[in-house]
Amino acid sequence: MKTKIAIVGLGKMGLMHASIMGMMNDVEITAICEKNGLIRRFGEKVIPHIKILENLDGFRGMGLDAILITTPPASHYPIIKTIYEKVVARHVFTEKPLAINYQQAKELIGLAEKNGGVNMVGYQRRFSVTFKKAKQILESGDIGNPISFQGHAYSADFLGAKTTKQAIGRGGVIEDSGCHVIDIALWMLGDMKPIKASVKSLLGSGSEDEASILVITNKGIKGELNSSWCKEGYRLPDICLSITAEKGILTVNEDRVQLELNDGKSTVWYKHDLNDTVPFFIGGSEYQRQGEMFIRAIREGQKAYPDFLTAAKVNQLVDAANQLAKGAAQ
Amino acid sequence: MTNKRLLLVGDNPFHGISHLSQERAIARGKNLTDPAYAAGLVNIALDNGAGGFMFSVSNTTLSILKSACRGRKPGSIRLYAIVPYVFEFVRMAVTEGGILGLVKKVGADIITSVNIRAVSHGMKGVITNDPSSLLKAYLLYEETRIRRAAGKAGEISCIFLHEVLTDMAISLDMEWLFRTHIELMQKLGIKPGIHTHNLPSLVKKFRKWGIDTGKITLTTQFNSLGFGMTPSREECEVVLKDIPETEFIAYGVLASGYLTLLDAVNYLNSLPQLTGVAIGVSKEKHAEESFKILSKII
Repeated sequence: MKTKIAIVGLGKMGLMHASIMGMMNDVEITAICEKNGLIRRFGEKVIPHIKILENLDGFRGMGLDAILITTPPASHYPIIKTIYEKVVARHVFTEKPLAINYQQAKELIGLAEKNGGVNMVGYQRRFSVTFKKAKQILESGDIGNPISFQGHAYSADFLGAKTTKQAIGRGGVIEDSGCHVIDIALWMLGDMKPIKASVKSLLGSGSEDEASILVITNKGIKGELNSSWCKEGYRLPDICLSITAEKGILTVNEDRVQLELNDGKSTVWYKHDLNDTVPFFIGGSEYQRQGEMFIRAIREGQKAYPDFLTAAKVNQLVDAANQLAKGAAQ
Repeated sequence: MTNKRLLLVGDNPFHGISHLSQERAIARGKNLTDPAYAAGLVNIALDNGAGGFMFSVSNTTLSILKSACRGRKPGSIRLYAIVPYVFEFVRMAVTEGGILGLVKKVGADIITSVNIRAVSHGMKGVITNDPSSLLKAYLLYEETRIRRAAGKAGEISCIFLHEVLTDMAISLDMEWLFRTHIELMQKLGIKPGIHTHNLPSLVKKFRKWGIDTGKITLTTQFNSLGFGMTPSREECEVVLKDIPETEFIAYGVLASGYLTLLDAVNYLNSLPQLTGVAIGVSKEKHAEESFKILSKII
């Protein structure tokens, strides 16, 4: 029997997730929900075989197994709440971040636990072959215990932007792209909290364009996580983490993993070396693997990762960092 | 390989992108994104055996094209254009306020392009909410931009639909999109092209829909490593052999710089079905040597 799914949001992420799901043999895209009338009417003509509805109520009675949420972050909380409270579907995937603050994230964890289905958040970097390889190396113990770390999430998305409207619309840079490097740091190094943070506005009018967070893990390892969406040269976004450990330095980003041992030996693995193949490619192979995990978890009654509980830790750290930054600015 | 195989200079390095590593793209410096410098590289490649230019259509590549075509003989550069330049569109969607903002911007550009056919298809598309007319309006607008930039020196051989659009359309059964593109290109006397990351899936769908692959040009990655070949190198090679009537342009033959030119040549020589090869260049010496070697060996 096919897994019946619906997608909320017909923007670029909605189309990408629909394309990934559309190529899975035992998945059926039953409907899409899109609030904007113009996009909805256009969508009905472009993909006439998929029902496009105005609101979530339309999903009820369709026998949906799962819903994928691809709308802007501020909408995640009300949408997920509605899905669970009105029992629209049992399994929920949402694009990152889980919510716009930790309070909302905690409420959603509670609802998800009560509901009992699979829940997952789209921190897709965990499914990239390079980040998986780096985690494997770290867990093998070959480089000893971590001593310190440094990470960044850089892009040129708003470099030279004439207005701040779109940047402000995406929230701050920490929430938008910084959350990826925070998630990767949490995944690889364990729980951590911020000890100092600063946020800068480069575009003006209250936009938050560059941020730096000093963090400490539960094991006492200190690190620095920087983010900027006005970074020269970063035509494509770059999420990078570099860990200095007892026996060497491990550096990873989307393209490669580099291991530099204290004895002078250095090894680099590019994506090319790490069997980065998937059955269908759109947007990046990590999205396909992420989608496969979500569907497999539904079928096999397992958990999918990162789940709401895991993803809420990003919200928790971001909220605490923002508090520290505000305090420092005053 | 036969002597008829077409060599094209590709544009990837000119966008400040390296699919091997971001650091490599940054290290290449700003020179490459300077249209005058990039046009110089295109010219060196053309003087050393390249028959044309394969590029994603953007303001940057059109400036490069304009510069490269200056002073060249009429019809001397074959152009293989890819539309839309999705990465630029995604960036515009970010800065212009989502898909709606992007649509408004492109709509305004079409209107100001003064291409009557494009504007009329666009108006029809908006009034009747017809995606096929809107696609035609967009394609005509891009075709006009290319022609204006290329002047008489450039001859548009093929316009490809970009892989993100194509692969989404394969998955979501948007047969109309391919039919509209093919029909319009044939009317314009241009070879309809399809750029894909998922060759076997595309060919399977085209067969199901009854779309003749013999009348189109396909472009996808081919390299000995199988990098970027979905779902696998072996399956892509089987499909390639299975559609000998299709014009095929390979790119990514160096797997973004991971492989050597010799690796690429050896592999390409094992696939006589490939009718053309696109290779990006980032340095003058690289442009001269690569195309000199390729034009002699393959």
